[in-house]
Amino acid sequence: MANMMIRLEGISKVYGMGETLIHALSGVDLSIKQGEYCAIMGSSGSGKSTMMNLIGCLDRPTTGAYYLDDENVAELTNTALARIRNLKLGFVFQQFHLLPQLTALENVMLPMVYAHVPPAERLKRATAALVRVGLENRLQNKPTQLSGGQQQRVAIARSIVNQPLLLLADEPTGALDSHTTQEILDIFTELNRSGMTVVMVTHEADVARTTKRVIWFKDGQVLNPNLAPQELHQLERP
Amino acid sequence: MNPLENIKMAVKTLTANKLRSTLTVLGIVIGNASVVAMIGIGQGAQTFTQERVESLGANLLYVFMDGQGSEVGAGDPPQLLLSDAEAIAAQAPAVKLVSPMISASLTVNYQSRTTKATVQGITPDFLPVRNMQMTTGRFWDEVAQRQDATVVVLGAELSQKLFNRTNPIGQEIQIGDRSFQVIGVLQRKGAALGVNPDVNAFIPITTMANQLVGRSVPGGMSIDEIEISAKDQASIRAAAFQVTNILTRLRGKQDFLVVANKSVQDLLRQITEALSIMLAAIAGISLLVGGIGIMNIMLVSVTERTQEIGLRKAIGAPEQSILQQFLIEAVTLSIAGGIIGISIGVGSAVLVGVFTPLKPTVPFSAIVLATGVSGGIGLIFGVVPARQAAKLDPIVALRRA
Repeated sequence: MANMMIRLEGISKVYGMGETLIHALSGVDLSIKQGEYCAIMGSSGSGKSTMMNLIGCLDRPTTGAYYLDDENVAELTNTALARIRNLKLGFVFQQFHLLPQLTALENVMLPMVYAHVPPAERLKRATAALVRVGLENRLQNKPTQLSGGQQQRVAIARSIVNQPLLLLADEPTGALDSHTTQEILDIFTELNRSGMTVVMVTHEADVARTTKRVIWFKDGQVLNPNLAPQELHQLERP
Repeated sequence: MNPLENIKMAVKTLTANKLRSTLTVLGIVIGNASVVAMIGIGQGAQTFTQERVESLGANLLYVFMDGQGSEVGAGDPPQLLLSDAEAIAAQAPAVKLVSPMISASLTVNYQSRTTKATVQGITPDFLPVRNMQMTTGRFWDEVAQRQDATVVVLGAELSQKLFNRTNPIGQEIQIGDRSFQVIGVLQRKGAALGVNPDVNAFIPITTMANQLVGRSVPGGMSIDEIEISAKDQASIRAAAFQVTNILTRLRGKQDFLVVANKSVQDLLRQITEALSIMLAAIAGISLLVGGIGIMNIMLVSVTERTQEIGLRKAIGAPEQSILQQFLIEAVTLSIAGGIIGISIGVGSAVLVGVFTPLKPTVPFSAIVLATGVSGGIGLIFGVVPARQAAKLDPIVALRRA
């Protein structure tokens, strides 16, 4: 179990109270090893977004234990969770979520600001991260001066700049055309090849096929925890 | 995130939306401008009245009859006597000079020019007591005083009225039904406490009593007022005490008042101070309104920037950081508004100084205080929006598009 990145044991998540209870997740057990590249799929309402929020330490399970890097994070304080998100996790969102008033470089430096990295070091690491995603010529551009694909690459650079253990991507190609989608997926593949654990939520089979493992959610439970991407066509389409 | 970075970030965010930031701080700008201008003008008014009263003579004391003490229908009301003044001069060690005075409104004419003027009978000590100088000519001496000389010294404005630009020295003027020779003109002084020596004529007190107005009463010559200058500022109280004692002993009862010019000055200062505090307080209300404006816009800004807040939380900003960020934005706004407002306030105070005789001064402490209060207002009115931002659920914040 030493190289287990994520270990979920009996996780359930309930929203609301009394008559209007919604069981978003019920009794989920799931493990993801270090260095894996997996996609979480499922129809809308299947619990995959809730799963993503839990894995990303943005939310806490109602019951169950969540070991991230062998640490039970289910009962940590808000501040401790913020620290874990800052240092151990990287987020990539469908809508990029770049701050419009900041340049690409400043956007990428933001997580290091909260990690108390010295300014000189920030500049070095942010530049390196932007070079890694192929944006060495766009360091001083503001988000409005960048294309969607470029913005998403800035967001990826931002997510990896604190050298996280785990990269979480929520529909990262949802707002991009097919050509740019491929570019972004190539970056994820490259990051995974260099050892980063990547977990991605997507509803596009083509996107999921670039990963090595598909976790299929249905009605708040794991329908299939280990589906080979090639077998995707066997499942009913959401 | 350290405070300096927070401030830089706040400036960046605020300058990204210049129009809104400007409108947001307008309330604070107006509030500070009016408070500072009011303080400046109030200070100017205070200095102005202080200087005017001070110009009457720094260590001056007045002695006059206590009007309320006289009983109606009990014969002539009691009068101050010239001998009272002489006794004070001889016996009170804290007193430097004594200037007894009789005043009357009389007709003054030179050739065809006729005017009504206050004519004051005085002694040569009047000049040093009142801190006055001559422009031209001379003042009469002790000898002339004793001989009931018919000489007159004119106030600057009266002299101009009677003689225009011609030299008045040596000319004869009529006061009442007597002829007086003009021997000097006083330097212009300006009005203070309703008294303007520039429009008066001055003649020896004995001449006045004996030839113009009958002032013989049992016991000597009655006078209207005694002005006294104490040896120095420190002996004003002692002088007042001694004068009261001497007069009470001489007159048998305390039917007079001794008022120090300094206490008049103090009273006026208190009044002008109270007035300027009141004005500044009224202006301060607009500061409060400005603070509410900041809170309002910060609340809107939190709503608008939920995605930013959500993102910052997702990438690891603790609640404390978000709270700090919004607080610093509010404080930066209000201090910037404060500084602009203070500049405008100082500017208008300076303008008032250019166009009026007032010399407004804005004390440095007021500027520091105004800046501090502005910052405080930003802090107080920033707390609610900042807490709202810090408490946002990152999931909800990120999802809101």
